[in-house]
Amino acid sequence: MKGILLSGGTGSRLRPITHTGPKQLVPVANKPVLEYAIEDLKEAGVTEIGVILGNKGREEIQKLLGDGSKYGVDITYIVQGNPLGLAHAAGCARDFVGDDDFVMFLGDNILKQGIGDLVASFEAGDYGAGIALQEVDDPQAFGIADVDNHGNVTQLIEKPDDPPTNLALIGIYVFSNAVFDVIERLEPSWRGELEITDAIQTHLEDGHAIDSHVVEGWWKDTGKPEDILEANRLVLEDKRLSREGTVESGATVEGRVELHEAATIEADATVRGPVSIAADSVVKSGTYVGPYTSVGANSTLDGVHMENSVVIGDSTIETSGKVVDSLLGRGANIGSAENQLPEGRRLVVGENSQLKL
Amino acid sequence: MRIITHTCDSCGTVVAANELEANRVMKCPGLVCDSVLRFEDLPDDDREFFVDHADQYEL
Repeated sequence: MKGILLSGGTGSRLRPITHTGPKQLVPVANKPVLEYAIEDLKEAGVTEIGVILGNKGREEIQKLLGDGSKYGVDITYIVQGNPLGLAHAAGCARDFVGDDDFVMFLGDNILKQGIGDLVASFEAGDYGAGIALQEVDDPQAFGIADVDNHGNVTQLIEKPDDPPTNLALIGIYVFSNAVFDVIERLEPSWRGELEITDAIQTHLEDGHAIDSHVVEGWWKDTGKPEDILEANRLVLEDKRLSREGTVESGATVEGRVELHEAATIEADATVRGPVSIAADSVVKSGTYVGPYTSVGANSTLDGVHMENSVVIGDSTIETSGKVVDSLLGRGANIGSAENQLPEGRRLVVGENSQLKL
Repeated sequence: MRIITHTCDSCGTVVAANELEANRVMKCPGLVCDSVLRFEDLPDDDREFFVDHADQYEL
């Protein structure tokens, strides 16, 4: 079994964060989203991984993952170039996959449970494909699968008006090698892409059984800023957090707090977990860091009250204001306008930024 | 849809034809690989098919 990890895409819904880097490298609980996928693949026994690269952020992704040895996996890069669809991405991996079966994992997805059960279920039967599903509240917004009593998929419907089930495809698939011939027969959809749902549906119509596995626990597509915040909250809620850094006398630290050995919480600061604080970051006196916040490396928080936020890193935040539900890109700084005239906020804001003042 | 790729002989990195065609000559995007990849490295029939159906490979 090999793995295909999709790491292309424009990340348009995550702008301005993705103006300067790929969406798969946005950190959740101080770890790039893509690393969660690598770990899930490895945990499922998949150690030969083809990483699909698009037109954007290739060097950053290669710099992070390298040859995969630091994760105990072997990585081959596959340059798709133009984003011509998920089925096209899979098709580009044909030489890499060879005669094996393969797992296809969207690199901006993160899930609690891992993919071991999905892979095991596929391998236990004679299936053409296996798809991960999750129950959703708004099936009209997703690709939906209809399944029989044995969990075999009977049809796929993209964003149905009258959904037969609430089981949504979540972007993790297992395929037999036969899917490559199916992909060669597909034509681009109305949006010019080779659709993976078309590949699965055609596979089904060819007579291949399609297994399904309903994922228990949470799953997040981290495509939008609010998704990053929610994924950060979910991971911090579950993650084992270790406090290795310096907590000065007089600081108040409550709950589960991950503190890197090179990070400091100064006297008279308050940190209330779950929180993650990365290397070379300092929470200065008079600062409050509240639940579900991740502070990336080399950042200074001075005087701010911050909750439910992600600071990607290299930031200085020196204000007595309250910052909540926020995602700060690398190197973004917040200062204080106190005592400056004329009174008012002073902003240097990049394209596609979103502020609520 | 015919999916055309080229695999670097030195490092195994796979490059789609649209990328090769756009660059014509490119350094292999594999890690620490000095190979040079060319659109002309593709077999004649793959190149001909790609050029004849170039609109399929663009967004």
